[in-house]
Amino acid sequence: MRKSGFVVLILMIAAAAAPLSAQGAPPAFDPPALITSAGQSADVSLATTLARKAGLEATLAKTATRRDLAGHKTLVLVLGASMKGLGAAGIDTAKEKERVRGLLVEAKARDIPVLCLHLGGEQRRGELTDDLIREFLPAAKMAIVVASGDKDGLFARICRDKGIVLKTVDKTLDAVEPLRAAFRK
Amino acid sequence: MIRPGRVPAAVLAFGLTLACRPPAVPTVPALPSATTGSSATTGLSDPHAPHDYVGRNGMVVAAHPLAAQAGLDMLKSGGNAVDAAVAAAFALNAAEPFASGIGGGGFMLIYRARDRKVTVVNFREKAPAAATPAMFAGLGQAQTEWRLELGTAVAVPGMLAGWSYALGKYGTKTLAKTAARAIEIAERGFPVSATFSQIDKDEYEKLVKNAGESTCYLNGGVPFEPGETFRNPELAATLRRIAARGIEEFYTGDIARKIVAAVRAKGGNLTLADLSAYRAVEVEPLHGTYKGADIYTIPPPGTGGLHLLQLLSVAEGWPLKDWGQNSPAYIHHLGEAMRFVFADKERYDADPDFAALPLARLLSKDRAREIRAEVSADKTAGAYASGPADAVQDRKENTTHVGVIDRDGNIVALTQSINEFFGAGIVPEGTGFPLNDHMADFSTDPKSPNAPNPGRRPASNMGPMILFKDGAPFLSLGSPGGTRIFPSLAQIVLNVLEFGQSLDEAIEAPRFFTDSAGGKARPISVEPRIPGDVLRRLEALGNRITLKEAYDKYFGGAQGIMVLKDKKMILGGADSRRDGVGAGY
Repeated sequence: MRKSGFVVLILMIAAAAAPLSAQGAPPAFDPPALITSAGQSADVSLATTLARKAGLEATLAKTATRRDLAGHKTLVLVLGASMKGLGAAGIDTAKEKERVRGLLVEAKARDIPVLCLHLGGEQRRGELTDDLIREFLPAAKMAIVVASGDKDGLFARICRDKGIVLKTVDKTLDAVEPLRAAFRK
Repeated sequence: MIRPGRVPAAVLAFGLTLACRPPAVPTVPALPSATTGSSATTGLSDPHAPHDYVGRNGMVVAAHPLAAQAGLDMLKSGGNAVDAAVAAAFALNAAEPFASGIGGGGFMLIYRARDRKVTVVNFREKAPAAATPAMFAGLGQAQTEWRLELGTAVAVPGMLAGWSYALGKYGTKTLAKTAARAIEIAERGFPVSATFSQIDKDEYEKLVKNAGESTCYLNGGVPFEPGETFRNPELAATLRRIAARGIEEFYTGDIARKIVAAVRAKGGNLTLADLSAYRAVEVEPLHGTYKGADIYTIPPPGTGGLHLLQLLSVAEGWPLKDWGQNSPAYIHHLGEAMRFVFADKERYDADPDFAALPLARLLSKDRAREIRAEVSADKTAGAYASGPADAVQDRKENTTHVGVIDRDGNIVALTQSINEFFGAGIVPEGTGFPLNDHMADFSTDPKSPNAPNPGRRPASNMGPMILFKDGAPFLSLGSPGGTRIFPSLAQIVLNVLEFGQSLDEAIEAPRFFTDSAGGKARPISVEPRIPGDVLRRLEALGNRITLKEAYDKYFGGAQGIMVLKDKKMILGGADSRRDGVGAGY
């Protein structure tokens, strides 16, 4: 009895602590950032506009590979699948996942932190995007998410479980401020 | 009293009280109250739940509630089906600016009840005089941009010429009267729907590149979020000028000069002479049958109608009802038929003014029998005798459809487009409307019968149709969706005629699509509401499966009207894959 009560207590403490870690101060990222897509939706271009509005030094490479990380101190991964975007890039989902996996391995090797963005809201969810979120979000130190894209709590759950700082914003344009605040000057 | 509104199919079946349901997106409070919805609801919250709109006197179905309302108000003010269709079409330019508008073109299928005549107004865009068969050949990776996003993508718009022709010959109202509501919508604005927002996000790069961050199609340089208000005062001003000065303002006046300047600034070769030479034409419809029902549709270059008739002719020889709706046998056989029909499409699609199409042969029941004989129940054919391989154009989810029936029984089925969402993304300065990128519907192969040539109209997938039972109009349909148009329309027709579904049940039912390219089968794309065991059996027959979303606008956004003569009732069905609604009275 006493043992099971102790386990329950530990679980309760862990459950209470997890949201705190998810809401804690954002880690400081350093510029310059490399912005790339996971899923080739047009949201990656939108992220570049937001970065410009936030005054960040950033380079857009929609289909960035390991070599593109050279000279960058942060990897911004824009989550969102688009069949149209994948078609335009001439790649399928398997190749896209393979590319992003390679990029994350290289980022880890170079000690480059990852900042994930999900800007498309509820409409930019779906089976393929959800696959990308589940696979790649855990590699991030921080995520900035348009709130309607997390109505089912997928981002919140993963961020809580993995200790990732999660910032939700109501509208796409609202992502500019947390993006600015996340980077050291 | 019958109250117009969207009601559950089950309610209709039992003849119970008809109730209203809110439209898919909010309407503008300041505009006249919408009869498409009210605060009295059925309590249904699923936007995809099948509902048929009901009317006794008239019905308008369109891809946006404000457009349906504009058409309905035109009917109520004494306008006929053509007047209402043009009013709704103008309104769509303001309310659904990404899918159609005066920068594009289309086809209007008209049934005139008085003399029981079906006719077609063809206002498909034309290639400019400087077009050449090889203009898109050998461009490598740049080809997509040349065909879709540069000035070379823009064909001579036909929309206003077509609306004006139809009004002049078959309508009763002026162009100015039919444009009035669109001007109001553009000026006052309306809350953006989730569909609008998603499309705005998807097309963000193109809009920034060609229309600039300050375009009205972006909100502070970023895409609109659902619920934010979209206004387009520049479009209102443009429509006001056209209403005051006539379509000459568009084809020869200041607007024409702005169009030419915008296209040429982006590397195109459109001229004032191209615009001033544009004329809409009236042509005979195509006719086909399905188990005794007569179907009228548009002729090439609107080849969606031709292939719809072909596909239905093939299907009528199979025991579809026994197989069951969306059963493995049904999908496999119909999918194989689609692949053979697409092989014919690849070989023959073209503008009939410039190329000889074997229409009689393609429409014959003999050709349908030949295709049925090629289809095996046990496996995919693997090879589909095709013409010169063309670029597979399966990206498009665009275009829009308006359906109208008036109190006299006149019907309009109008499908119109600017091609890709937001067309080429090129907006002539200060005009508020995007130009089409319909040059992309030409072949990249200079030897193709559908290669670009001066004055030629590119083949189109559009296929508005009216089906008659025992000589009386029963079902009118149309849809956007590129190559998926005729397969989707065929499935809706079969859902009604073979499986006894109500109109909107038939529209909302799970869809599938496949085609062939270069003689090879392509995967079957399905909405995953089709069960997994069905998909596994299809795979066992040699089909590859691609899963789409549960209600994916990839498969189009069909609108339909059904006339239940015995019940003296008109039903409207509008696709929840987009923001489709109906408005009846």
